[in-house]
Amino acid sequence: MTRFFRPRQLVPVLSVATLPLLFAACSGNYPNSTFQHTTEFNRDLTSLWNQMMWWGLAVFVIVETLLVYVIVRFRRRPDSPEPRHVHGNALMEISWTVAPALILAIIAVPTVRSIWKYQTPAPNGSLQIEVIGHQWWWEFKYPEHGITTANEIYLPVGRTVNFTLRSADVIHSFWIPGLGGKRDAVSNQVNHLWYTPDSVGVTGWIGSCNEYCGASHANMRFRVFTVAPADFDSWANHQKAKAVYPPPAPDTVAVRQVAAAPAPAPAAIAEGYVFPAAQRPAHVVPATPIPAGNTFTEGLTGDPQRGLAIYSRSACIGCHKIDGNPMSIGIIGPNLTHIASRATIAGGLFPNDTRHMQLWIKNARKMKPGVTMNSLGKGEFDPILKMTVTVGGLTDQEIADIAAYLQMLK
Amino acid sequence: MATAATAPAYTSSESHGATGLMSWLTTVDHKRIGILYLHTSLFFFVVGGLEAIIMRYQLMRPNMQAVSAETFNQLFTMHGTTMVFLVIMPLSAAFFNFLIPLQIGARDVAFPRLNAFSYWVYLLGGVFITLPILFGLAPDGGWFAYAPLTTRTYSPTQNMNFWVLGVQILGVSSLAAAFNFATTIINMRAPGMNLMRMPMFTWMSFVVQWLIILAFPVITVALFFLQFDRFFGTNFYTVTAGADPLLWQHLFWIFGHPEVYILILPAFGLVSEVLPTNSKKPLFGYPVMAYSGILIGFLGFGVWAHHMFAVGMGPMADTVFGVTTMLIAIPTGVKIFNWIFTMWGGSLRFNTAMKYAIALIGMFTIGGISGITHASPPSDLQQTDTYYIVAHFHYVLFGGAIMGIFSGIYHYFPKMYGRKMDEGLGNLHFWLNFIALNLTFFPMHFSGMLGMPRRIYTYDAGQGWETFNLISSIGAFLMAPAMLVFLYNFFKSKKHGEVAGDNPWDAPTLEWSIPSPPPEYNFAQIPMVTSRYPMWDITHPERTAEIPHSTKGWDEARHRSDEHILPGGGHMADMAPAHIETAAKTASELDIPMPTPTIKPLLVALGMLVMVASLLPFFAGKTSAFVVLLAIGAGTMIYSLYDWLTTPLEEAH
Repeated sequence: MTRFFRPRQLVPVLSVATLPLLFAACSGNYPNSTFQHTTEFNRDLTSLWNQMMWWGLAVFVIVETLLVYVIVRFRRRPDSPEPRHVHGNALMEISWTVAPALILAIIAVPTVRSIWKYQTPAPNGSLQIEVIGHQWWWEFKYPEHGITTANEIYLPVGRTVNFTLRSADVIHSFWIPGLGGKRDAVSNQVNHLWYTPDSVGVTGWIGSCNEYCGASHANMRFRVFTVAPADFDSWANHQKAKAVYPPPAPDTVAVRQVAAAPAPAPAAIAEGYVFPAAQRPAHVVPATPIPAGNTFTEGLTGDPQRGLAIYSRSACIGCHKIDGNPMSIGIIGPNLTHIASRATIAGGLFPNDTRHMQLWIKNARKMKPGVTMNSLGKGEFDPILKMTVTVGGLTDQEIADIAAYLQMLK
Repeated sequence: MATAATAPAYTSSESHGATGLMSWLTTVDHKRIGILYLHTSLFFFVVGGLEAIIMRYQLMRPNMQAVSAETFNQLFTMHGTTMVFLVIMPLSAAFFNFLIPLQIGARDVAFPRLNAFSYWVYLLGGVFITLPILFGLAPDGGWFAYAPLTTRTYSPTQNMNFWVLGVQILGVSSLAAAFNFATTIINMRAPGMNLMRMPMFTWMSFVVQWLIILAFPVITVALFFLQFDRFFGTNFYTVTAGADPLLWQHLFWIFGHPEVYILILPAFGLVSEVLPTNSKKPLFGYPVMAYSGILIGFLGFGVWAHHMFAVGMGPMADTVFGVTTMLIAIPTGVKIFNWIFTMWGGSLRFNTAMKYAIALIGMFTIGGISGITHASPPSDLQQTDTYYIVAHFHYVLFGGAIMGIFSGIYHYFPKMYGRKMDEGLGNLHFWLNFIALNLTFFPMHFSGMLGMPRRIYTYDAGQGWETFNLISSIGAFLMAPAMLVFLYNFFKSKKHGEVAGDNPWDAPTLEWSIPSPPPEYNFAQIPMVTSRYPMWDITHPERTAEIPHSTKGWDEARHRSDEHILPGGGHMADMAPAHIETAAKTASELDIPMPTPTIKPLLVALGMLVMVASLLPFFAGKTSAFVVLLAIGAGTMIYSLYDWLTTPLEEAH
């Protein structure tokens, strides 16, 4: 019998090898860790986890120690005597039936308490946010403020938020690991999830879809910004206003509420609080590479005025809504009223900048698998319709104009 | 180890009269069908493993573009479907087939031709569901195929049809086999082998057959609903028509959770054979081991909704299913401790089978502990559908079921082929596999709890998951050489392995009392059993001294044989107290009637497959192709079935 190596010599090596893994898990930068003490929900879940983990660790140590002891102690040797032929022991068997039952009873108490605590209706005065899962993006509504936005939530620190979850198509699952557990957005059903981000900084989080929902399930992310209450109000007040482009003539400004708008035209658009790009944590800035085969003519400058005209007569208006643009009334796609204020586009896949916006409009289906939005660029191949866009296709210049227009919608 | 090892006087194929392809296509011998199951499922194991390796390559680093989203979704759907329906279940079936009649002292299964039919349906169904991946048409809805994603509205292509129809076909195979084995175990045990004397593998298999019989009809109904929705425009899962999409989830998991125990209990059974044999001790707490298996099976039907803690079932349902799920940990824990104390005080021989058996105990415990953390519904809300779950069920299914099955393969290989597998290569295979398992799946606990969802084909950089994914991928790549070592060892040892003899491991149960490989009739004389360990009663009476012995059941068997024939098909004269058989006569020399080989079960299976596949052109609107295929398929099936049912099992001789 050939022995390839002595496995027992490996045991210390393996134990040492797993240590860095454990240390790695306990230190380092884990922005999506579920163990962050950010909400009462997450604190309760972490404490539940800790209890179970300590019991689990105890069981693990007992079982594996016994196992290793048995392996070492009772290894057959040439002089091994014939073993005693015990075939059972009622007392021992009862004890290892009862002991786990007791442990489970101990775990069951905080478990059941948490179940009932977090499945009661949210406290009064909670910030209501309606979440609607779509293949593959998130629609968010703040009924209190009359806001409809997409792939981005602002939360005021310290106020309980109550998410009301629905789906427009298949089942999705709404999860912000850093803030709390997940809940599914189920078709024909309304679910709730609430917690209070009371111990968070002014920072950004990533949320994701957690129920497999088709081709771009992996690309259904969203950003969450926890901000100071005053900043939240500023953001919300701005978001609920109509899109203002082209900028109104000076004599119609009267109703605009935000003060200190300087004179030059684009800057005259009232701007509310937006989470400062410079303060965004690195992990909320998408690093998705542009898929191969997406190109755009270099050096084109878009003209927002022209873009508005092109946008308002193109397919865009059938699916997207821009409050303030009477032509743009679609509801299938994300609401674009304040698109320029968002950090990302395409279900959180790409940063919201000129280049990505242009490429996205030109051929969304080559940028993100399976999306509903047709390829629009002239001469582009639509991978779902399996045909080349000809009649009605947009030129790169037209796309640059549209992108310029959308970037005015702060 | 006392048995003098001599070359077997014959091989099992020679004993069957015929060799060559036709003999395999027409066989109704449970041992050969078991070997067919084994080879086929090992093939699918390689396929499912390759799918996993491609996925791990894609996830090795963030934002990789090795495969497209669509391909990745097909890969994970098929990896899950393959490993569950085409690998672990049929690997268990290989052992059901090969072992159950041998362990209970029977000459065959209750319905030999139905047994062949089960295999052919499995093979054809497996090919049907696997082949499309070569054309990018593989199912892409996940292995639990949640509606409404899998309805025609959201999956308008043929892809999911292969899954809906394929799993339905595979269900036919499982159900037919389950009825067969349940009947075999109930009716064909040797005289004296009452239920509490059955080998533990047969016990666990018995529980599994009932789980299959009770669970598969539920998935059958769920699949028919989906099939009718997709093909005939019904609205069971159509959300725009008001359907509740949780209907599918409930139906699927009422099947799906017992399915987990269908996958793990046979491995538990195999390990319960390997541990006592290699410890020179009887199984510790045999009755409790049997009861806990039954209890696991029973409780397994009351926990399904723990897969659905995030869907919003309400606090009462969450509480009930959380608590029942925790309860399952109790009988499982009992098994773990009983195994350890089977070894305690023993004299342990560390062959490869033993190493795998011990690995099951160690690894399954990890899967069990992580399981408790998501038996708690609130805690599960941070875990479900993340990589933590992926880690959990791979510790259970790879660290549990697959480890147990490898243990069984090394242990029973000598009985199947008369030769041992090479221990050196086995050792290498074990350690490669053991390291690869932990390297792949342990880091997934971290990536999951650090926020990584499962079933994503890509992830962004900077999320804190890079290191863990890299380690997982390296571990997965290491599984390929492990499997290659195993396959080399397997095929080499069949021809050139050390000749094993009848009872190379000095094991206690009936299958070791006959030659290796066994003759087609298994037992020349049906053994009459007085205890749980008939072989040790003969070779090591001191080991079974404390276990009750009696001839209970013998008189009844004698009485019955006066009137009819014995369970197992023999006559009165064929019975004898448990003994070691060495004779190598043919069935006809011994005047033992054997079922006639027949191609009909294969034809019925083929007809059924064609009939079911005719729905594919129907889906595409090609009505004439549909009608032609349907006619050919249904015609072949009905004609062959009629022919089968009107032909006697045994030719007069």
